[in-house]
Amino acid sequence: MPDFSSVRRRIFAPQARDGALRMAIWAAAGILFACAAWLMLDVAVRGAAGLDWRFLVDEPARAGRAGGIGPILVSTGLILAVAIAVAAPLGLAAAIFLAEFLPSGSRFAAWTSISLDVLAGIPSIVFGLFGNAFFSVWLGMGFSILSGGLTLACMILPLLIRTAEHGLRMVPDEWRHGAAALGMSRFSSVWRIVLPAAGPAVTAGLLLGLGRATAETAALVFTSGYVDRMPSSLLDSGRALSLHIYDLAMNVAGGDRNAYASALVLLLFLIVVNGLAMSFSDYLLRKRIAA
Amino acid sequence: MFFHRALAFLLVLSMAPGFAAAAHAGDRIVVTGSSTIAPLMAEIGKRYEKLHPGLRIDVQSGGSTRGVTDVRAGLSDIGMVSRAMTAGESDLLAYEIARDGVAIILHRDNPLTELSNRQIVDIYTGRATDWADVGGKPGKITVVNKAEGRSTLELFLAHFGLGVRDIVAHVVIGDNQQGIKTVSANPGAIGYVSIGTAEFEASVGTPVKLLGLEGVPASVANVKNGTYPLSRPLNLVVRPADRERLEPVTSFARSADVDDIVADQFFVPSHP
Repeated sequence: MPDFSSVRRRIFAPQARDGALRMAIWAAAGILFACAAWLMLDVAVRGAAGLDWRFLVDEPARAGRAGGIGPILVSTGLILAVAIAVAAPLGLAAAIFLAEFLPSGSRFAAWTSISLDVLAGIPSIVFGLFGNAFFSVWLGMGFSILSGGLTLACMILPLLIRTAEHGLRMVPDEWRHGAAALGMSRFSSVWRIVLPAAGPAVTAGLLLGLGRATAETAALVFTSGYVDRMPSSLLDSGRALSLHIYDLAMNVAGGDRNAYASALVLLLFLIVVNGLAMSFSDYLLRKRIAA
Repeated sequence: MFFHRALAFLLVLSMAPGFAAAAHAGDRIVVTGSSTIAPLMAEIGKRYEKLHPGLRIDVQSGGSTRGVTDVRAGLSDIGMVSRAMTAGESDLLAYEIARDGVAIILHRDNPLTELSNRQIVDIYTGRATDWADVGGKPGKITVVNKAEGRSTLELFLAHFGLGVRDIVAHVVIGDNQQGIKTVSANPGAIGYVSIGTAEFEASVGTPVKLLGLEGVPASVANVKNGTYPLSRPLNLVVRPADRERLEPVTSFARSADVDDIVADQFFVPSHP
């Protein structure tokens, strides 16, 4: 512990500065933890009352105040599946192109990274309006899970590309040189050496994207829509879980109980996905070190 | 292997627009607009679907203005508009399916029977803090306000010409039931809730009373006949060309068959 009686006299003494810094860091971490814990406890306590097995499988009734969220969970899953299935290969390919095949000092690379950063900072409602105009209206998909998933894919692509690109750039050049010395083609050196080495970073990027997509409301209002029926194809409109929570909390009188229960489901889902992805990336890292 | 699968997926994806065109055949009715009406219309749609197997009513929210523009652009069949139609919207046919009314409520033991608009504004902006200031029995006023985002809050603010930031509230509530509970437990409280809920609670003996506005008693009947000032119509709008095709849906939404659904959303049915 720092000696506070001497702080005034030795305000610039390294010891006092270190102590103050340590206090500030602990306070910041404590506040952060308290906020997260408060939020989670609040949702858990208020949501647990309405949460049981039937809630997860039943159809919503009385505008969501009664019944469950079965069809909404299915729609949410399908929207996320479309978004990841489209964004992951595209994002990975773009990241490989940027990190491995483009000279890093080129003007094209600089412009690409600026435009990616701009894209990543665009509010999601703008993506929602774009998705509505492009996928729903121009391509004629209407209000559909496909349109919502593709809109989310556009939204998370910059995030995926940037994190994957950073991961690829972190792989030491000696590995590439080694592969080249062994006569491996550019493609197989990327596919067999660089990509597995960047695995944890790529997984982390995917996870961030998935989390952002799961929590998204504004981009989905005008694309995947509001219909809470069980979807029978990707071309049906389907309500996402976050949109359901928003509607129950803001539009439906008496919807608070089920809004909290749905929020708890969303929170648990995010925790599970985070946990799975973290252990998967640990597994990749261990395999890489062992190999 | 991975690339083959990804390629196959993209091929399937590129055919999607073709499928979409086929899916938008005549068996689907798209309704867009006001988020206040959307939960009500979704429930009405579900009941209509049960009576007409094979037909689907897809309800999308997004706001009253969007309801009008989507119908005009042909992006939807029916629009939902939770306000009176304006002069510039006479190109569309409007059907009023229900009305949304808000009642000012006091505790039953409060001797006041009427407040002027001016007095209500004074109370809600914190200029009057004691019931004696507005001609009542001395006692502190507890101002109960709705949480942001509620349509009743919007209606209340618009009617009294207030902004969200002007209001000085002691208690902020979410739904109507919470408002009823807060006011009935506090003799000095003033609040506002959906008129259907308030009238029902007062009739079953909950100690609340509904305050008349501008000389008109607050009642579901006066919302229905349009004389009660703090209310708004909930409209469905269609293009004149679609009038006959959509007539079964628009008349079903205004029929007595959906009265229970309308009441369940705390609105007042309006029949043709």
